[in-house]
Amino acid sequence: MGLLLVGMNHKTAPLEVRERLSLSCREDVSPLGLLKGIPSVREALYLATCNRVEILAVAADVEEARGELVDLILTHGNLPREELERCLYVHRDETAVRHLFRVAASLDSLIVGEPQILGQVKDAYRDAVDGGTTGLILNRLLHHAFRTAKRVRSETGIAGHAVSVGYAAVETAKKIFGGLRKKAVLVVGAGEMSELTARHLLKNGAERVLVANRTYARALDLARELGGEALALERLPEALMEVDIVISSTGAPGYVITREMVAGALRRRRNRLLFLIDIAVPRDIDPEAGELDNVFLYNMDDLQDVADENMRMRREEAQRAEGIVAEETERFMEWLKTLAVVPTIVALREKVEAIVAGEMERLAVRFKGMSEEDRETLEILVNSIVNKILHDPMTALKEESQEGGGQAYAAALRRLFRL
Amino acid sequence: MGATTILFLAALGSYLASTVIYGLSLRVRRVHTAKTATRVFLAAFVLHGLFMVSTAFLRGRPPLLTAHDTASFFAWTVAGVFLLFQVRTKTRVLGAFVSPLVLLLLLLAAPGTRGETVIAQNLKGPLVLAHVILSVAGEALFALASLAGAVYLLQDNLIKRRIRSPFIRYFPSLGDLDRINAACLLGGFPLLTAGLIAGSLWARVAWGDAWPLDSKLVWTLMAWLVYAFLLHQRLALGWGGRRAALYSVAAFAFLLASFFVEKALFTTIHRFS
Repeated sequence: MGLLLVGMNHKTAPLEVRERLSLSCREDVSPLGLLKGIPSVREALYLATCNRVEILAVAADVEEARGELVDLILTHGNLPREELERCLYVHRDETAVRHLFRVAASLDSLIVGEPQILGQVKDAYRDAVDGGTTGLILNRLLHHAFRTAKRVRSETGIAGHAVSVGYAAVETAKKIFGGLRKKAVLVVGAGEMSELTARHLLKNGAERVLVANRTYARALDLARELGGEALALERLPEALMEVDIVISSTGAPGYVITREMVAGALRRRRNRLLFLIDIAVPRDIDPEAGELDNVFLYNMDDLQDVADENMRMRREEAQRAEGIVAEETERFMEWLKTLAVVPTIVALREKVEAIVAGEMERLAVRFKGMSEEDRETLEILVNSIVNKILHDPMTALKEESQEGGGQAYAAALRRLFRL
Repeated sequence: MGATTILFLAALGSYLASTVIYGLSLRVRRVHTAKTATRVFLAAFVLHGLFMVSTAFLRGRPPLLTAHDTASFFAWTVAGVFLLFQVRTKTRVLGAFVSPLVLLLLLLAAPGTRGETVIAQNLKGPLVLAHVILSVAGEALFALASLAGAVYLLQDNLIKRRIRSPFIRYFPSLGDLDRINAACLLGGFPLLTAGLIAGSLWARVAWGDAWPLDSKLVWTLMAWLVYAFLLHQRLALGWGGRRAALYSVAAFAFLLASFFVEKALFTTIHRFS
């Protein structure tokens, strides 16, 4: 009995291959149904996302199952064997557990730390439960995977760092204002980058958008798309008094927003904080404006720095996450190994209990003269002797199995007690 | 050891634990750790409250009238107000500064919490109690305002200079810190004012018309004026952000200085032990 994981992901297989496999799987028969038909497979789970296709199975004979699973993928995905073999990875037992835990914790994702994968694993598990292909081992394994992912999420900052310039702007804005609710955004120059950043801000709670552009028609267009108001570039100084965040990305050769303009607006702003984002090259906003009190000025490079720093931290956090995954893998393997000796323990216990029951019955005639109370005492005595004799070998067997030597001991017990 | 002493030691131990965990969270710069610290801090706060209740009932005196008691009550108020802010803002990390302050105050209070103190007859009465509770609570709020202000200045500097530091993420946002600063000033000022009024009413009864222009009273009045000015600037002129933070730190420094200078250099009739 062993665990087997066969699959391909964004690192091993090109998109066309993954696409073909996951599409054909979904359209035809359910892959779970096919997996059920494989004789050596006891339990199975099928996971398909845009970045991976994986089959996780508990098999009576791992080698046999491996061949059968690869054949299944071959015929099913309609792919040449050579190409497929190149894309596939196969993990057994401990490495399979670790792989699953890493996938669930988003350590194996294209963008490390992205949050969707856990939900996708959960969906795959639900399908498998509905399809009746899970059992004792996969149930325990998947719940352990969810717990591991949760631990990684709460104990490391793996998902908490913005790694794109747009999100770096949102993150910085949040560190300035707290929340973005009721904040107003001014977009100067209707470029693609500023539009994207404005959308990020809106999605995170900002309420109002003003768009100023040299050509008013373009400002109107963008304002309509973002659900905001357009204004002429000449009204920029007034707009600066009202808004909280300014995103500037015009193609102008000089400064569009000068220090004087900002200083003038500040007096009317009653010291509300102002976040200026300059993503134009050459720059739109006089760097000296950023020296003013309660004004925070970030240009493209600064935001890129924030994103880079976040990426670095994310990698650092991923290291910690790997530690958690290793820990949890070990924990699961301990359980899995004791599982192998459980039938032996149960058989031994049953045999001894049968002997006790048989002997008690055989001697029942002799006990006739005894009081009810004495008979109970006798039973307790016999049971406690049996339990004490069995206790040490059973504990030892469990311990040995956790360290990997359980099979030999279990075999010895079976032979000695003729189980 | 009586129940009261055990409660005091338990509170002290919990504050110590929360301070250590907050310290750790500063070191690893992880808000997750600060969350744990805040839970321990909450437990310490509850124990501390029980200690004061226990003092009042088992020892039969309000836990307010000696200098040591006042320090303890001051610490408790700071802790409580900080915890109250956790309901509305994400400023757990501020605890890394609040917790050691509270711990220090409680350590200062420790020598006076065991023995029985004799309280002068004219200090028994609701006016004195009101005077102490209101002024100490007001000053506790000012202390918290200045702490929020100090962290604001740190964070402001980090964000403004675009310093690549993990502390930016770890420290609370400027908006939240400014809100705490404003709310503490707004709440603290009327409390202190009412406390001073209660105090002068009592003085009129106890000392009659003859209560002199004492150094303690002068310093307190000056501190009150400083805060009145600060509040006026905030409300009427819309002071906020960096300048408000800076001034609230300076104002509290003045309050502290007046307390110590007055203690060291002047004699005052405002001394009852």
